[in-house]
Amino acid sequence: MKLLIIIPAYNEGGSIERVVDNLIENYPLYDYVIINDGSTDDTRKICSRRGFNFMDLPVNTGLSGAIKSGMRYANYYGYDYVLQLDGDGQHDPRYIECMLEEMKKTGCDIVIGSRFKTEHKPFTSRMLGSKILTAAIWLTTRGRYIGDVTSGMRLFNKKMIKRFGYDMHYSPEPDTLAYLLNRGVKIREVQVQMQERIAGVSYLNLKSSVWYMIKMLFSILLFQWFRR
Amino acid sequence: MSDTLRILLFFAALMTGGWIVYKIRKLQVKMQDAIFWVVFAVILFILGIFPQAGFWLTERLGIMSPANLIFLVIIFLLMEKVFTLSIIVSQLEEKISILSAEVALRSNAMEKRMEEVEKGAEKENKKNEKNRA
Repeated sequence: MKLLIIIPAYNEGGSIERVVDNLIENYPLYDYVIINDGSTDDTRKICSRRGFNFMDLPVNTGLSGAIKSGMRYANYYGYDYVLQLDGDGQHDPRYIECMLEEMKKTGCDIVIGSRFKTEHKPFTSRMLGSKILTAAIWLTTRGRYIGDVTSGMRLFNKKMIKRFGYDMHYSPEPDTLAYLLNRGVKIREVQVQMQERIAGVSYLNLKSSVWYMIKMLFSILLFQWFRR
Repeated sequence: MSDTLRILLFFAALMTGGWIVYKIRKLQVKMQDAIFWVVFAVILFILGIFPQAGFWLTERLGIMSPANLIFLVIIFLLMEKVFTLSIIVSQLEEKISILSAEVALRSNAMEKRMEEVEKGAEKENKKNEKNRA
């Protein structure tokens, strides 16, 4: 069994060292690869100075481009599982084990590290978008529930590695989850705790989140029925 | 608004919608780029099926006839598309030049390192031969 942790990093110079040091020290049984997604800060310098295993994309391709590169890396070296872990330090690798257990126990294809599986958090404005997408997925998949659709901590099996690496429409976003649920792919959630990010800014700022919601809703409610 | 124009709008809407769906299925367009064309098709469809909407807007905007309104709307939408496309093309050109610069830089760096490694290996070989002799 080979598991690869892919760490998409866009301008994560302030936190990447801590995240990867933690992996190397405490979780040496998992391989990792950092996808430096055309960062404009010193992410590449840090990775190269510390001798981290990293792929250096020359231009910024966005989260889905970075994940695609990671999936292709995993497929190239024949990994059985891929875990997506954010480079900002908000995901704790100690949950990898129970996510992997869940995948083996239930035979599902994707395990999502969810913030709201068993614990109910107070409602904030940041959760509004996530809840709308949960509702859209629930509506279009005949009542299937995914609590934390935007969680960036996900475990994929071999079947999913191929698809996410080579298919144009497979973005690592909620719309693909809805589509996969309708295609009989099994998706499970495991409760995890997430920390606030150590440094840097998220891929999703306020300005782009409106466009993000439009994209996702069109994709889930409309294009889902036509795509392959 | 003449019936001919309405029928034309109706078929244009259907063709646009059908074409973009076909392109999505063939994996030739990203879903996010199809949103514009879906909205475009819906607007044509509404103007074709409910000409009242066109009449109402025509009066409000003080335009001569609904047909003119339709041309205006289509021209506006296409202008917006050309504008965003032109910006995207600029960005893509910039990305390609960065990409080729980076590829050239990295292959150059790789060659230099290879040369260094080869030189090191040669020295090592000579040393070994001397030792043997």
